[in-house]
Amino acid sequence: MILEMNNIRKHFGGLEVLKDISLGVDSGEVISIIGPSGSGKSTLLRCATFLETIDGGEIKYMGKTAAHSDENGNAVYVSPQELRAFRSYYGLVFQQFNLFPHYSILKNLTDAPIHVLGKSKDEAEATAMELLNKMGIADKATSYPYQLSGGQQQRVAIARALAMKPEILFFDEPTSALDPELTGEVLKVIRQLAEERMTMVVVTHEMPFAKAVSNRVLFMAGGVIVEQGDPKDVFDNPQEERTKQFLRTFER
Amino acid sequence: MTFSTMLSTMSAGMVKTLGIFVLTLIGSLPLGMVVALLRKSRFKVVRGIISIYISIMRGTPLMLQLLAWYFGPFYLFGLNIGNWRFPALIIGFVANYAAYFAEIYRGGIESIPVGQYEAAEVLGYTKTQTFMKIILPQVVKIIMPSVTNEVITLVKDTSLAFTLAYQEVFSLSKQISASQSSFMPFLIAGVFYFVANYVVEFLMNRVEKSMDYYK
Ligand SMILES: Nc1ncnc2c1ncn2[C@@H]1O[C@H](COP(=O)(O)OP(=O)(O)OP(=O)(O)O)[C@@H](O)[C@H]1O
Ligand SMILES: [Mg+2]
Repeated sequence: MILEMNNIRKHFGGLEVLKDISLGVDSGEVISIIGPSGSGKSTLLRCATFLETIDGGEIKYMGKTAAHSDENGNAVYVSPQELRAFRSYYGLVFQQFNLFPHYSILKNLTDAPIHVLGKSKDEAEATAMELLNKMGIADKATSYPYQLSGGQQQRVAIARALAMKPEILFFDEPTSALDPELTGEVLKVIRQLAEERMTMVVVTHEMPFAKAVSNRVLFMAGGVIVEQGDPKDVFDNPQEERTKQFLRTFER
Repeated sequence: MTFSTMLSTMSAGMVKTLGIFVLTLIGSLPLGMVVALLRKSRFKVVRGIISIYISIMRGTPLMLQLLAWYFGPFYLFGLNIGNWRFPALIIGFVANYAAYFAEIYRGGIESIPVGQYEAAEVLGYTKTQTFMKIILPQVVKIIMPSVTNEVITLVKDTSLAFTLAYQEVFSLSKQISASQSSFMPFLIAGVFYFVANYVVEFLMNRVEKSMDYYK
């Protein structure tokens, strides 16, 4: 197992956003998470990437524990230094790309490998160019983020995450900030990664994409996983009333 | 007094004015960053003290502050410090300008989207790396116009040193004008400030342009 999240609880003020959520991700799996706005999808990814701290539950990467519950059920994390070591296991692609605007495209891809992982400049640049090639934007290496379209920026963001050679890649609505005509080029790249058996968890509202690309679909609502399974089963033959209701809003 | 003796007498004052200017910047530009970061400290007491300090620095006249730094040690603590005039002057300027710069820095830091911190964190950058490599360069670009304004104000504010009877160019021009019954010293001082600010604007413009390569 690449990632194990067990009995995750998280609240904001009086609002329970994640209620006892468990999720395991095997190597090579592609999981889509769907669900209505406010159901806790982003929060789940943010807990998995330590951008939010969980209240209770357990998080393990590659069998190593990053957080667990003490006897009172409260989450205890490993030390900040130890936690940083976990960051090399995963990457996260944001809805808003979050590229570094003052770095060239190439530097966006090489800076962390050099200064976080300690790679040599030559090695980092070779990897970066390879990734840019794969993303179809090798000609943009010396450009700056503001000179790229949204779709190109998101592909750079994916390449930046891949440059760290993560075991698993998280996407939080990677196409939601894009104009409709630009979503295709980003989805195509993710699909290509899926074919290469990259382990991925994708929060998305692109139902046809989720159905075509993922091995497993999770439907979340109100902080719980209402239903999960093979995409064909969940989309074509949902068991739960809430899933049916949610999917109906996408037909038309 | 001929024009050239007037000019050479005043040039000593110009050097002193530039001294105040340069020392104030060397002290207050970095100190402002320390103040800005302390303002966001985890400790409530620290945040409170810093915010009171900034309020006082911005809420009272610099002239009054200079007098307080100069006479304070004697009237408050009975201390008689030798050669205190110049140190008091520089401390007064640095403390005041650090407060203004701190507010500019804070505005700049707060305008950086939280996504920049999160992207850096997920990539594994340390907090120091994130600040130095990702946040600070973007802050510098954003605050440059405000810093330029402040620096130009400082060129003119150096004249407040006359409050402590420090012989910089403004004090001298007043003295020489009175003793020689001449308007010329004011003219020389005026041209001096104008040229100094012209140079400042030119240099700051160059710096701003050098950061134009990204948006
Ligand atoms: N930092 C926060 N502070 C307070 N409440 C928050 C915070 N982050 C999220 N929430 C709340 O938690 C709930 C779940 O939010 P989350 O962003 O996880 O939903 P989501 O499923 O990703 O929704 P969307 O599809 O709109 O992105 C929402 O009600 C949201 O308002
Ligand atoms: Mg979300």
